[in-house]
Amino acid sequence: MFFMHPASLSISLLCAMIYSIYLNGRRAVRFQLFCLLPMMLLAAVVNPAFNHEGATLLMYLPSGNPLTLESILYGLAAAAMLAAVILWFSCYTAVMTSDKFVYLFGRVIPALSLVLSMTLRFVPKFKIQLHTVSEAQRCVGRDVSNGSLIQRLRNAVTILSIMLTWALENAIETADSMKSRGYGLPGRTAFSIYRFDDRDRAVLGWLAFCGFYILSGWLAGGLYWRYYPTVKSTTISPLTISFQLVYLALCLTPVLLNLREDRFWKRQNKKGEGPCCKA
Amino acid sequence: MPVEPQDVTISDVAYTCTISISCATILDHMDWLDPEKVELVPEDGWILEPIQVTFYEGESVFNVLQRTCKQQGIHMEFENTPMYNSAYIEGIHNLYEFDCGELSGWMYKVNEWFPNYGCSRYQLQDGDVICWEYTCDLGIDVGGYRATGG
Repeated sequence: MFFMHPASLSISLLCAMIYSIYLNGRRAVRFQLFCLLPMMLLAAVVNPAFNHEGATLLMYLPSGNPLTLESILYGLAAAAMLAAVILWFSCYTAVMTSDKFVYLFGRVIPALSLVLSMTLRFVPKFKIQLHTVSEAQRCVGRDVSNGSLIQRLRNAVTILSIMLTWALENAIETADSMKSRGYGLPGRTAFSIYRFDDRDRAVLGWLAFCGFYILSGWLAGGLYWRYYPTVKSTTISPLTISFQLVYLALCLTPVLLNLREDRFWKRQNKKGEGPCCKA
Repeated sequence: MPVEPQDVTISDVAYTCTISISCATILDHMDWLDPEKVELVPEDGWILEPIQVTFYEGESVFNVLQRTCKQQGIHMEFENTPMYNSAYIEGIHNLYEFDCGELSGWMYKVNEWFPNYGCSRYQLQDGDVICWEYTCDLGIDVGGYRATGG
């Protein structure tokens, strides 16, 4: 997601794909096929159409400027990077629920984190409420599927007005309710089931190690890759391969953690002593 | 005098002119050059040593440069600038404007004179000598400072 080295990009993209499929299942596959893939193709085509730098001339475009191999490769890399960023963020939204967000930032920036979590929650909530309202309106024959065009427009505007009122009222209610519970007051503790235990320490250490290793590798030029004017990289040595391997391990960490947790959970349940099966 | 490229009719009367492309000024300012581009600079500064090329009556400096670069396999990128009604040469041989300091870019002279208008508007005569030169200092180092408004 940060490095333009093709190996790092493929690692990042692949791991993000695996993780988002793990988290979101079929929905992620559909999103990747029908949204991400066309977007990647577009991004890959746009670069050589507007950027003509590069030493390997393939042919001349109708505009008279050359089409170069380097600009095509750079377009592909940029497309992969864009897709990886979007996928990682889709994983982030799936993992970082708003209670986690408020837990992390509720004490440091109470007002902002409440506003953020309300905003992030707003779209799905609005969608559900819109569905409810339009169903209710349909029952009394005032839905957008009935009547003349003018009538339908009027109905749509009514639904919109209902939704707006609801959204404003809902926001005020949430804010009032949080205020009445003393949210953001000094000395107020927040209930959370998150404890910082040995597992977290181990994972934090692992992340810090990977981050440090890759960062120093990057600073030392071990992840160097140049697209213009000619494609050039550092020589492949055990050291540069080790940077990529650590990067792979870092990107795979969330998937591996989840899979391990799943296996543990299944084994516990099989034994009949899983936390949910105790009678 | 500058001509407008859209008003010109190109006949099939063939003339010859001389064209050369040089980036010799970069050799004096290697420390300013983008490190990724160092390997592109030829040791003597000639990207294209002076050669005789054929052109057709009515053609401009830009037409000759574009055709020569295609024939010689030299990379060249340009952009049409409606404001000046001319092509602007952004880079030749992957050496782009601003690659060697913020006052750098490509300039051209015909018969030792730097025109102060775009290369699509300079109509060539038989036997003209075109030099494309890379400047690192807004034309001062190639002797064309007057053309850049100095």
